[in-house]
Order: sequence, then C-alpha cells, then structure tokens
Amino acid sequence: MEVLTILLDGISYGMVLFIISVGLTVTMGLMRVVNLAHGAFAMVGGYIATVLVLQAGVPFLLSALIAAVVAGALGGLAELTVYRPLYRKGELPQVLLTIGLCFVAIAGLTFFVGPTPLPAIVPSWLDRMVDIGYRSYPAYRLFLIAVGTLLAFIVWLIVERSLFGARLRAAVDDPQMARAVGMNVNRMFTVTFVGGCALAGFGGAIGAGVLPLEPFYALRYLVYFLIVVAVGGMGSFRGSLLAALAIGIVDTAGRYTVPQFGGFLLYVLVFGLLLWRPNGLLPPKSVA
Amino acid sequence: MKRTLIASAAAALMALSSAAHADVVKFGIIAPFSGPFAVWGKQFKDSVEAFQKLNGKTVNGHEIQVIWRDEGAGDASKSRQFAEELILREKVNVLGGFALTPDAIAVSEVITEAKTPTIILNAATSVITRKSPYFLRVSMTVAQYLSPLGGWAVKNGIKTAYSMVSDYAPGHDAEGEFVGDFEKAGGKIVGKDRIPLNVTDFAPYMERALQSKADALFIFAPAGAPSVAMVREFERRGLKAAGMKLLGSGEMQEIFLPSFGDSILGAISSTHYTESNKRPENVAFRKALNETAGKDAVPDMASIAAWDAMGLVYATVKSLGPKFNGDQAINFMKAQTINSPRGPISFDPKERDVIQNVYIREVKKVDGKLVNVDIATFDKVRDPWKDAHPDAK
Repeated sequence: MEVLTILLDGISYGMVLFIISVGLTVTMGLMRVVNLAHGAFAMVGGYIATVLVLQAGVPFLLSALIAAVVAGALGGLAELTVYRPLYRKGELPQVLLTIGLCFVAIAGLTFFVGPTPLPAIVPSWLDRMVDIGYRSYPAYRLFLIAVGTLLAFIVWLIVERSLFGARLRAAVDDPQMARAVGMNVNRMFTVTFVGGCALAGFGGAIGAGVLPLEPFYALRYLVYFLIVVAVGGMGSFRGSLLAALAIGIVDTAGRYTVPQFGGFLLYVLVFGLLLWRPNGLLPPKSVA
Repeated sequence: MKRTLIASAAAALMALSSAAHADVVKFGIIAPFSGPFAVWGKQFKDSVEAFQKLNGKTVNGHEIQVIWRDEGAGDASKSRQFAEELILREKVNVLGGFALTPDAIAVSEVITEAKTPTIILNAATSVITRKSPYFLRVSMTVAQYLSPLGGWAVKNGIKTAYSMVSDYAPGHDAEGEFVGDFEKAGGKIVGKDRIPLNVTDFAPYMERALQSKADALFIFAPAGAPSVAMVREFERRGLKAAGMKLLGSGEMQEIFLPSFGDSILGAISSTHYTESNKRPENVAFRKALNETAGKDAVPDMASIAAWDAMGLVYATVKSLGPKFNGDQAINFMKAQTINSPRGPISFDPKERDVIQNVYIREVKKVDGKLVNVDIATFDKVRDPWKDAHPDAK
C-alpha cells in the first residue's frame, strides 16, 4: 500500500511539472528558442491567482483561469516584442535575454508584492483529507491528478487530433518544409507560445501547494522544467508527460525510501536516461 | 595602527572644538536585498527606518547615517568586498548586517585589521563571534534558541519524536541540539531525516514521519519558502489529525502564519522573540514599524536584531560622542543591557554573544488572527555551544 501512496504523491507532483513544462517543450522544440523565462510565466500566473483569491475574494478555480488568460496574454506580448527578434539569433543571446526576463520578473514581484513566500491558496474544499479506501489522502493531490489528466487529454486532442496539431507537429519535425508548403509558421509560433504560457500560468496557480510561490520561483524550479523538456525530448508532448510523471515518481520514491540521498536519485535517473537517449525519451523526427 | 592614531588625534581635536560641532556617524549594513534571501534585507531596512522615525536621525546633534549594501544571493565574496569599500571609502564607524554565516565570516579579517566594530544582525552559527574581537552579535544562535525545546517537550508528555531538518550547517546544529536535549530528558527519537536544500515537495518526508507514529515532529528549515512548504505539507497530509505535535522555531514566526490554515493551531516553537508580546518596548516598536512600513508589516527575528543594533549605535554615540575607535565601541556595546522589544538582553563580555530569554510559544487564535502565545519562558539563556566548546575557533 505504501507503493500506492508513493505513486499518488509522485503522479500529482509530476502533473504539476507537466502542466507548467508542456509549453516550454513547444518553445524549445518548435521555435528552437532557449526560453529560460518560462518559469517566470508560471510564477506570474501563480501570483495573479493568489492576489485575486486573497485580496478580491475571487474563487480558486476562476482565479486560476484568469491567471492562465493573463499569463497567456503576457506571453503573446513577449513573443511579439521580445522573442521574435531572437529566433534568428544564436543561443547565447537567447539565454542572456530570457534569463534577464527572469530577473526582471523576480525584481518586479519582490518590489510590488514583497520578498516573502505567498500563502497557499488551496481552497477549503480541497484542503482536507478524503478516504480512498486504504487510508485518508489529501484531496488537493487527487485534484492535481484529475486536472493534470484532463489537461493532458486536451493537449493530446489538440496536438494529435486537430488540423492545427497536425500542422504544429509538421512544423516541429521540419520547420523549413512547413514554411515551403505555405504554412504561416510565425502565427503558429505565437498561438502556441500563448497556449504554453497560459498553461504555465494555470499550473503555477493550481500547483502553488506543491511548488510554493515566492519571487525566486522563476529560477528555483527552472531546472525541473528543463529536465522535463530534456528527458521528454524537445517538442514532444507525450514525451514531456512521460518525463514529468517519471520525474515526479522517481523523485518521490527516492526521497521516501532513501531520504539521505534526497533528490540525488533524480539526477542519477536523468544522467542515465540522457546517456541512453541523448535526445530524450520521445524526440520528434527532426531530431531523431 | 596609523588609522587609530589619526582617529584618536581627531577625537582629541574634536574634544577641543567642543561638542556643539555636528558630526556624521556612519553605520554600514551589508544584507541581501535581492535573490532568495531578500526578505532579510527588507526586514532590516523597515526596522531601521522605524527606529529612526521614533528616535530621530540625530544623537546630540550628530547625524546617524545608515548606508546599505546589497550583497545579493548570499555571496560571501561580495560581502567582503562591500566591507572593504564601506570601511575604506565610506569610512563607516560601525559595520553590520549579514544574513548568512559565510557572509559574516568573510569579513572577519577585514574588520580585525581595520578595528571596525561589527554588529551581526542574523548569521546564527555559534563560532562566528570568535573569528574577530570586533564582532558583536545581537541576533541569536540556533543552539541558543532551541536549547529549551527538547526538555520542555518531554516534560509536557511527548515521549517519542521524529526529527526532520534541512541538510545544511544550521540544520545539523538544530538536530544535534534538539535530539541531544530530548534524549537526555528521557525522550526517544524514532527517526531522523536530513532533507537536501533544493527539495520543494515535502510529501514523501511527511509520509515517513506520519508512518513513524511519533508523538511529535521536530522540524528545522531555512525560514522562508522552504519552511513554509514544509509546514504546509505537515498540515495537508493530516499529521495533526493523526495526533502529532509540531515542534519548531523560526518556521512558526508570525510573519509566516498567514500562509497556513487553522491546522497550524497548537504548533509549538522555541525562539527568542514573541512578536505579539505586550512589553511597552514591543508595542512602541510595532507601532513605529506600522507607521513607516505599512499597517500589514509584521516584525520577525531580523527586525528585532536591526532594531537593537540601532539602539546600540545610538547609545554608543550618546556616551562616547561621534568619534570612537573600535575597541572603545566594542567594549561599550558589550557592557550594555537593553530593554529590547523581545525582552531584556545583555552580552557575554568574553564571547560578545547575546544572552537573552527564550520563549516556548504555541500558535493560538486571538481575535480571529493566528498568533504565537508564550507558554513558557527560559531566562537569560546563553549559547550552549560556546560553553560546550570553550576552545573551538
């Protein structure tokens, strides 16, 4: 039964990582932009939701949705103004500029909201234990699993079953050919970037109970988001789901069974996986 | 040597030209205002501004100027660089600050050479004050504020405990202090976990603690995001419902209580400052703080240290005048007894470390607000580490 608990803890943690990181896998896979500012969008989303809940009394789910919309809009704005000129630049300018965006977000939130960690906005209907047969378990974690599954399904529908998704996959696999056959890859970039940022903002808001919000969030968890992308394979949606869940479960199991090694086990896994498959678990065809 | 000569010559001249001449006394504070520890810098600064609002910016006509330096994300080499700059270029009379232990240790050679009195506002590793004769600590040491907790727990019916600390030097100190005292008093430790600092999801650790079925869980984590996440997981996983008592220290500071739900009620912490205490000094302090930093400003361990450091600097200038050398200042400061908002404090003249009361507090709901309420007081607690290691350097 312990195994089941570890699985639930790991999956719920992995789901949060997935919701936040899936957008990053698009930016890095599709647009080939090293976007280190992705965590900042999740953070801004989380902050917006928290402020709405605490100051304006907006219900939890509604404020998470508003956070997603605002984070998406900010993402769109950033894509048009900041990211677009970067696509043709090398990786170093991209790294410098996006990490700079991170610092701007960190300094901005420290200035306007303050440096202390924000209170959790988990509503009372989730902040309780529910009986799941063999033990009582935090409802919040079950909620994360449910929402994560739902979002994964929606993303899967869009990517694998819609015309837009078919084009997106084509553009990920071979952007030049996609342009050559007349697809408006630029607009596709913007739309996907907005979607990815909206998901990140939503993940930052509902996942605040697992990844606590504070101004340094954007950098503190960045390494996890990047691991999801690297392990899953850049541009691969199924890959990032698989990677996020694997990371969540292995990290949790490692800490439960051999706490003295703590998060160490995770890095061993990442090391081994990348040795075995340098392009990630499920890399898109253009890379593999 | 030359500096001292010049300084004393200047002091002699000053005495001649009468005290009516106004001078500037500079107090340089090095603290993080950006990066993950930015909360320390903010709390220091709010507190200093409140102090100057209440007590004025001058002492006997001499202006007290506070000069701030942001050392960023806990960067010890930067701390040293700023210390040199503040001493050589700004010619500060007193230095202070230091959120983390390495920041303080990094400046010890500089201040010894320049004979600059230096007030430690946080850095809590016991050994620091032995690194330079010009260090004076107004904050606390981890061993000091945790020393009563283990014994108190056993006396209050806690027979078994699980220890969960962050895996860094203060965490190890905390584990050693709590586990040692708890076992000495007859309690039994059923498990010990050390959690790496980069961990964000505490679910698996709390699950282990839950399965241990201990009477209490002792935690220690860096105050801020990690400690808040740890306590939240304690709440969410229902350890309290399973009958476990939460024991800690800085994790339950009032500034963090709004982050928690009602399941934090009953949590016990052991620290040297109870934010809601009704001493007149504390009431005045909180009022001044709310006037300068906003009505929602809540003081913490950092605020109280900055407040008392300002008190020391003001008292020094009042007694010694605006010109003093390092030895005079340190000798004067360490002989002071202060009626601090936290309670009476004094200093161990040999170790230049603070001696203060330690309070065992319980989180209770007062007027609909979560606050810490004192349930036991231990008077004049010294740093036990210093007494246990008289020769360690």
